[in-house]
Amino acid sequence: MIRFYKHRYIYFAISLCLILLGVGAAFINGIQLDIQFKGGTILKYTYSSDINAEQAEKIVEQAVGRTVNCQLQSNMAQDHKILMVSLASNEALSSREQEAVTSALTRAYPDASLALSESLTVEPFIGKHFFTNGMIAIALSFLLILVYVGWRFKNIGGLSAGSMAIIALFHDVFIVTAVFIIFKIPLNDSFIAAILTIIGFSINDTIVIYDRIRENERLLGRKTPAEELVDISINQSMSRSINTNIAVFMSIAVIYVFAQVYDIGSIRAFALPMMFGTISGCYSTICIAGPLWTMWQHHKKTKIRVKSAEA
Amino acid sequence: MNSKRVFFITVLLTAALFCLSIFGLKIGNFWIKGADQMRYGIDIRGGVEATYEPKDLGRAPTENELEAIRTIIETRMDAKNITDRDVTVDKGNGKVIVRFPWKSDETNFDPQKAVSELGETAKLTFRDPDGNVIMEGTDVTKSSAQLSQSDSQPAVALTLSARGADKFAQATGRLIGQNIDIYMDEALISTAIVQTQITGGNAEITHLESLQAATLLANRINSGSLPYSLIVKNCNIISPTLGSNALAVMVMAGKVAFALVCLFMLIYYRLPGLVACIALTLQVTGQLLALSVPQFTLTLPGIAGLILSIGMGVDANIIISERIKEELNGGKTVLRAIETGFKRAFSAVFDGNVTVVIVAIILIIFGSGSMLSFGYTLLCGVIMNFVAGVTASRLMIRSLSNFKALRQPQYFGAKGVVQ
Repeated sequence: MIRFYKHRYIYFAISLCLILLGVGAAFINGIQLDIQFKGGTILKYTYSSDINAEQAEKIVEQAVGRTVNCQLQSNMAQDHKILMVSLASNEALSSREQEAVTSALTRAYPDASLALSESLTVEPFIGKHFFTNGMIAIALSFLLILVYVGWRFKNIGGLSAGSMAIIALFHDVFIVTAVFIIFKIPLNDSFIAAILTIIGFSINDTIVIYDRIRENERLLGRKTPAEELVDISINQSMSRSINTNIAVFMSIAVIYVFAQVYDIGSIRAFALPMMFGTISGCYSTICIAGPLWTMWQHHKKTKIRVKSAEA
Repeated sequence: MNSKRVFFITVLLTAALFCLSIFGLKIGNFWIKGADQMRYGIDIRGGVEATYEPKDLGRAPTENELEAIRTIIETRMDAKNITDRDVTVDKGNGKVIVRFPWKSDETNFDPQKAVSELGETAKLTFRDPDGNVIMEGTDVTKSSAQLSQSDSQPAVALTLSARGADKFAQATGRLIGQNIDIYMDEALISTAIVQTQITGGNAEITHLESLQAATLLANRINSGSLPYSLIVKNCNIISPTLGSNALAVMVMAGKVAFALVCLFMLIYYRLPGLVACIALTLQVTGQLLALSVPQFTLTLPGIAGLILSIGMGVDANIIISERIKEELNGGKTVLRAIETGFKRAFSAVFDGNVTVVIVAIILIIFGSGSMLSFGYTLLCGVIMNFVAGVTASRLMIRSLSNFKALRQPQYFGAKGVVQ
């Protein structure tokens, strides 16, 4: 049997390091919001011959009189290359201006068989609205989960179980966010989806263990020390935790590999953080939520003891 | 009833439903569309999604104005032959959202141009048979559908401005017995024969085939008198080649993920693993049907949600199989272990799934556009997981345990030899 409670400070230290790593990365890389959240315009063109990004930038700037950023990307799976024109400003390009960009580029590179493949325009106001909505969604899911866990696990101290589960969830949210920051993936609605999915997935994990604690408390009696209860419960549900995670990780890894090979950016940006999230979810459940809950139980008992000693 | 049969019935049923979800079924008016006729989002089939708003209005547009905007856009799409479209009015935010596919055979189609043209000020003109403009949309202050006072037939009543009334009186005096055509931009939307000279600024267009047609015409005329043009607030254009490629890739990813998860379950859990694979097929089938029957829009994140729920879907089976194994190792007989295993696993599966339901519903309510699809597939996955991963699995395992030959603890991954 693995003594999770005994080694808890090691786990806490590991988590703290990872979170600090994320915070550090946030300072170095900065947190980028996708234009979906901050507003702006992205135009993507496929082309065949050679294009100079700086030159393209000048052409576009001349056409619309704004500062733009041009980047070239190549695609592993397809033979064409991609020219990405992005403009993040307080005013998104109007559709007339977008047309002007396209015609200026096709005029400048007549032999490149330039074609619009993707365009996204978001007004800053709407972007902010999406972002706030996403944050509300995350906060609301925390609240509802706290209420539900608190109610269903009354027997083992619902509020403490709920709060510790939420701390474990915060842990996962930090880890997933850190992955976005470290890999410089701009935050967009797949970020919100990844976070919410990880919340659902990780809480699911935690609940399986709480369920076991709830059951073992009945079987072993209320006198059993909390740490023993937790260690037994975690060990018993260990193979389930690992196997479920293998299944989920496998599915998401397959999505990631395919998205990477065929260069589907939106899916890749979602799958990569999810891979880390599943691992973090499994880890936080086993190594964080359980031991924290035990510490709370100890704390409560000491308080009662102190109180009765005083009386 | 011979409960040995239950297993085979469940398998057959799963297979039948699976075929149904892939190939679809059409009996008369009753049509369940197959997987290839699913309603795909523009990120999959390629297309355009644009949000329009009145430009420089300075206040929230009224419901009538939004309807007028919708009418302008629809009329213009008709003129461009874009029939497969979806125009939604968002009353709360004062916006009109337009979605239409950009098909791969349309090589000349310029989506950027289409988007800006849809948003231009509608120019409504009344023209004489020679094509000369008699009157413009701005000369009409109001138009409404009604039943004609003279013969109770559907008609459109027009109220004209003072200037419009003058122009119209002059023209109708000149054109008795001839046509007046109404154009929106360059598209002819209606023709009326002038019966008498109309003075006073109130006119009626009669002889319309239905009240519905009258309403449409009235809306179109109203939209032609809107003094503002539309501005595109959000726009997303995705080329069809990019879209279809992504779909093929994601479908392949789904198949590979499914195969890997099944293989893992079979090797690790054996008999319950086999049951899990069948249950998983049932779950995915249910998800596909939940998408194709109501023709819910499936986006790429939706497919990701589907694949993810393949992984999460086996969780119930894993919890149950582990419990059965535990009970067997504890010395119970196979039959007792199955019963206890299911009973003990239930509360964990239930509470776990409820929390995922909470999260999925929040995603559906708050998620923007494409995330809605993700939340929906996830929600269906969890609900189907109760049906397949818990109920169907239980029926199948119980039924299989009636075969004496299968009542071996090692088939359940247990060490014990208790019969």
